[in-house]
Amino acid sequence: MSEFTISRRTMLAGSALLLASTAMPTIGWAQTPKKGGRLVVAADSEPRNLNPAIVASNGVFFISSKIVETLAEASFDGKDGLDPRLALSWEGDADGLSVTFKLREGVKWHDGKPFTSADVAFSALQVWKPLQNLGRTVFKDLEAVDTPDEATAVFKFAKPTPFQLIRNALPALTSVVPKHIYETGKIEDNPANNAPVGTGPFKFAEYKPGEYYRLEKNTDYWGKDQPYLDEIIYQVLPDRTSAASALEAEEIQLAAFSAVPLADLDRISKVPGLKVITKGYEALTYQLIVEINHRRKELADLKVRQAIAHAINKDFVVKTVFLGYAATATGPVPKNDPQFYTADVPTYDFDVAKANALLDEAGYSRGDDGKRFSLKLLPAPYFNETKQFGDYLRQALAAIGIDAQLVNNDSAAHIKAVYTDHAFDLAVGPPVFRGDPAISTTILVQSGIPDGVPFSNQGGYKNAELDALIAKASETLDTAARTELYKEFQRKVAADLPLINVAEWSFISVARDTVKNIANNPRWAVSNWADTWLEA
Amino acid sequence: MSPLRRFLRTPEAIAGAVFLAALFAVALAAPLFFPGDPQAIAGPALLPPFKDWSLPLGTDRLGRDVLAELFHGARTSLAVGLAAAAAALAVGAVIGTLAGFAGGLVDEVLMRITDAFQTVPAFLLALAFVSIVGPSLGVVVVAIALGAWTGPARVARAEVLSIRERDFVAGARVIGMHPLEIAFREVLPNALPPVLALSSVIVAAAILTEAALSFLGLGDPNRVTWGGMIAEGRAVLRTAPFLSIIPGVALVLTVLGVYLTGEGVVETTAVRRSLS
Amino acid sequence: MWVLSFGYESSFAPPSVLPDISPTRGVPNAAPKTWLSCQCCAMTRALILLRRRLVGSIFVLLIVVVGTFLLLEAAPGDAVDAYIVSTGGDAGMIELLRHRWGLDQLELTRLANYLWALLHLDLGQSVTFSRPIRDVILERLPTTLLLMGSATALSFGLGSALGIYAGARPGSFRDRFLSIGSLALYAVPGFWLGLVLIIVFAVDLRWFPIGGIESIASGKTGLDRAADIARHLVLPVSALGFIYLALYLRMMRAGMAEVWRQDFVLAARARGLSRQRIVLAHVARNALLPLVTMLGLQSAQMLGGSVVIESVFSVPGLGRLAQEAVAARDTPLLLGIILVSAVLVVIVNLLVDIAYAFLDPRVGASEAGA
Repeated sequence: MSEFTISRRTMLAGSALLLASTAMPTIGWAQTPKKGGRLVVAADSEPRNLNPAIVASNGVFFISSKIVETLAEASFDGKDGLDPRLALSWEGDADGLSVTFKLREGVKWHDGKPFTSADVAFSALQVWKPLQNLGRTVFKDLEAVDTPDEATAVFKFAKPTPFQLIRNALPALTSVVPKHIYETGKIEDNPANNAPVGTGPFKFAEYKPGEYYRLEKNTDYWGKDQPYLDEIIYQVLPDRTSAASALEAEEIQLAAFSAVPLADLDRISKVPGLKVITKGYEALTYQLIVEINHRRKELADLKVRQAIAHAINKDFVVKTVFLGYAATATGPVPKNDPQFYTADVPTYDFDVAKANALLDEAGYSRGDDGKRFSLKLLPAPYFNETKQFGDYLRQALAAIGIDAQLVNNDSAAHIKAVYTDHAFDLAVGPPVFRGDPAISTTILVQSGIPDGVPFSNQGGYKNAELDALIAKASETLDTAARTELYKEFQRKVAADLPLINVAEWSFISVARDTVKNIANNPRWAVSNWADTWLEA
Repeated sequence: MSPLRRFLRTPEAIAGAVFLAALFAVALAAPLFFPGDPQAIAGPALLPPFKDWSLPLGTDRLGRDVLAELFHGARTSLAVGLAAAAAALAVGAVIGTLAGFAGGLVDEVLMRITDAFQTVPAFLLALAFVSIVGPSLGVVVVAIALGAWTGPARVARAEVLSIRERDFVAGARVIGMHPLEIAFREVLPNALPPVLALSSVIVAAAILTEAALSFLGLGDPNRVTWGGMIAEGRAVLRTAPFLSIIPGVALVLTVLGVYLTGEGVVETTAVRRSLS
Repeated sequence: MWVLSFGYESSFAPPSVLPDISPTRGVPNAAPKTWLSCQCCAMTRALILLRRRLVGSIFVLLIVVVGTFLLLEAAPGDAVDAYIVSTGGDAGMIELLRHRWGLDQLELTRLANYLWALLHLDLGQSVTFSRPIRDVILERLPTTLLLMGSATALSFGLGSALGIYAGARPGSFRDRFLSIGSLALYAVPGFWLGLVLIIVFAVDLRWFPIGGIESIASGKTGLDRAADIARHLVLPVSALGFIYLALYLRMMRAGMAEVWRQDFVLAARARGLSRQRIVLAHVARNALLPLVTMLGLQSAQMLGGSVVIESVFSVPGLGRLAQEAVAARDTPLLLGIILVSAVLVVIVNLLVDIAYAFLDPRVGASEAGA
């Protein structure tokens, strides 16, 4: 299970400009950075393909975002919630048919060749659009990339594409790979996928399977005086309990992505020399949802779905399963999203009596054994928390007379059972909110998605009104109008409950006090760490 | 000296048997003491033991009663052990008898298959099997039996080889009994005692294998087992060590009890056999 | 003539069995021996044995391969399903991956292809590592061999030594204490023992590293590196070795108890030899032989046990690779691992059998009869 803890899926970092986070969380703000040193970090999975342009997922970014850079990075205080990286500026045309990027000049690839607009054009057309898990959606209408000069790239779309969506996609979807390395042979088989070459502050040095990845400082990096660290080591620790031990034994200095179990945080925060950091994941929000198979006649009844929503004590879930490191959810967009979230949606209080009444009303009265009907409940195995919530949900359902049988699968079997075979009644899933509903929550509601697409609506839910709303929003260019449509989407989803949103959570880092400049952007764990440094 | 008296002369065997008897009592009484679902949330999460006398052994990560889980866990752990051992012994005895009695090609094929199973690490086989079929208690039992039947098969075969030449078997042939009937009516019952002697080992190994599978996330989530409790408790080993120590101690005592009793029984019967 | 069968019929319980509890079968070969009485016949016998075993092994391995293949084919979810967990992707992408990884071909075609490649000692391509499986396995094999070898040495060495100590005075307090103590260790789940060792010796006392096989990119070579690896191995080897200690200890002790009753020991006692001399020269020596066979049988068990231990101690070995292969539904890789471990087990048992043929002159006779 530890295999799967880092990231389930990718996310677009949205422009998560959080009010709460405007105060820089960085510790040691006033200190002058020291150069040098080796940072050892816990890694609990070993991505085979390290090319973030093909596999846009947190597990890959965690390592390769230091090597391969994107056009822009998420930021707490930048314009549109972005900070320039390989692109200095971005401009969308009013017709939604083109976007112009001004690129940074004087940047070199790790092999010494210059970085130009040709690399961006190649990455966009040859990699992101045809091969990337998420780029296939966002860039599906990308027709051409014009390169009038070496520092300008103009994306041309066949159909109007909202600029807001493109902006929100920049931090996660736009990893630029070198054209001169990828243009010969099949891109998927290129050896650079396992030993990436980029423009980032660190170079890929070595990978020992089962042991570690090693990155070295890029002395030619474009950032002034950066990076500060000489080396980053990702030490593979497959067992979930070992990260905490390794931190205490001073064998590693940082464990990100909640590698230290939540239940251990209280204790470990008291260990001298270690600190617990909850910031730096604002744009990496996971949603805890109950997926519903609407093919089951009981679950096709709105009253039953409402009853289930009323049976779940969201506060208990946040307090006990997540030990407070989460927030209760109201609908399909997380509360911490600055662009789209609305609180103005129907809500479901924890009310067992009401839930029971709803079920009686729906005609499912209790049998002699106190049970109304039985369900198969499949908690996703990727996180401890999804499994624990599965245990809780079983008890919560028992309280309203629904007998849920837990089915415990490993990841491969879970995906097959839920998204291909539809062999579930309820499932617990941790989808990622990718900063824009167009490429995240809407696919959990939209109908007409072919069988077998993971993390999509495979529950047989069909609502023409919602489908139309989703379609309209995806081609609305005006940001305000588009945002309003997604607010309407949230209201409708919360009212009709195609799925039940329970909670939203991000990750926790634990680091030694000596690690400085951490958690200073909303995607910190998967950003480039050029300004991270170690106090001797 | 009667076997029982011999048995009673070994303190280890008595200790083992007493513990096992207590365990069976606990397992049987679990629904009486703790009616309802042992996995129900009973109180605040991570309550330490001996703090609240309505929850004497405290609660786990979700606030479930550890004592209730321990009692019900005794049922499932014992059931897994006994069922796996029964399955392994039955399959092993049948295959061993067939191989030994038939001889020739049948023997050759069956024993090669036995070799094949014995060559693959049993835990690896169980791991692959459970992750493929999906973890439920029945599947876990089958997975464990898959790796455990070879021992009984070999012992049964060896035993049958020595029995099949005896007079009473020849007699049965003479009166025209069907070979299968001879094999299972006449030979197998006589070959059984040494096969059964393996049962305590298999029961103990099965309980441990279930624990290791739970550790890798492949236990049945609808049932409480001690292995599952230890596996779940390990995430909070530092914060709430009692969550893995309590079921751990129970597990060690059970395995010890099973062994010591088994050993006592075998030793006393072995002496009887050698005397007779 | 069974690959692994030698000794079972006449004497031993199978692996995973603490043999001293099987009733009628006491310790075999308990009679005094003329060690290596006839070098040349032993050699011939060993060769004949070797040839027969090799032929048999091929059949056994074939059963293993085909059986495992069919089992894995029945699995819900394939490598693409497992891969997509960490990436997401649409239907077109999934189809693309299935095609690239050859998962859209027929089951039998793939089995045939696999067996054909196997004939050329080619284990195929791992779908998740995108590398030849032979390389992936060979990379991990030395680590696992080292871990298993050391753990076996520990459990065998310490186990038989303590067994001799316990068996020298059957029924004494130390006999009972050691015997029950080792059993209690045997009854502790391996992963839990490992975690506790880590907390005590790596986190609190900091005597040993918490895991891994050697210091990261330390640049150490030669003896320094060997010492570094040894330091990393102490905890995992202890965890794995202590669990199986009971097996050898109890077998040794039971064997000795059996030998004490033999005539030649009585004779030796009558001759007035010292107790210590009798214990070491006669009793222990004769009781040791069955333990050697146990060594072979135990190798499969150890391999299984290393899955969990390697995971707890982050040791990059074969056991952990197997677990990763199962999780990733990397069928060819898991097949490769199971095949390699089966070959390993067969080899260990062959070595044990050959050693036995040299040590015990009666082997040839019993083999001829089987």
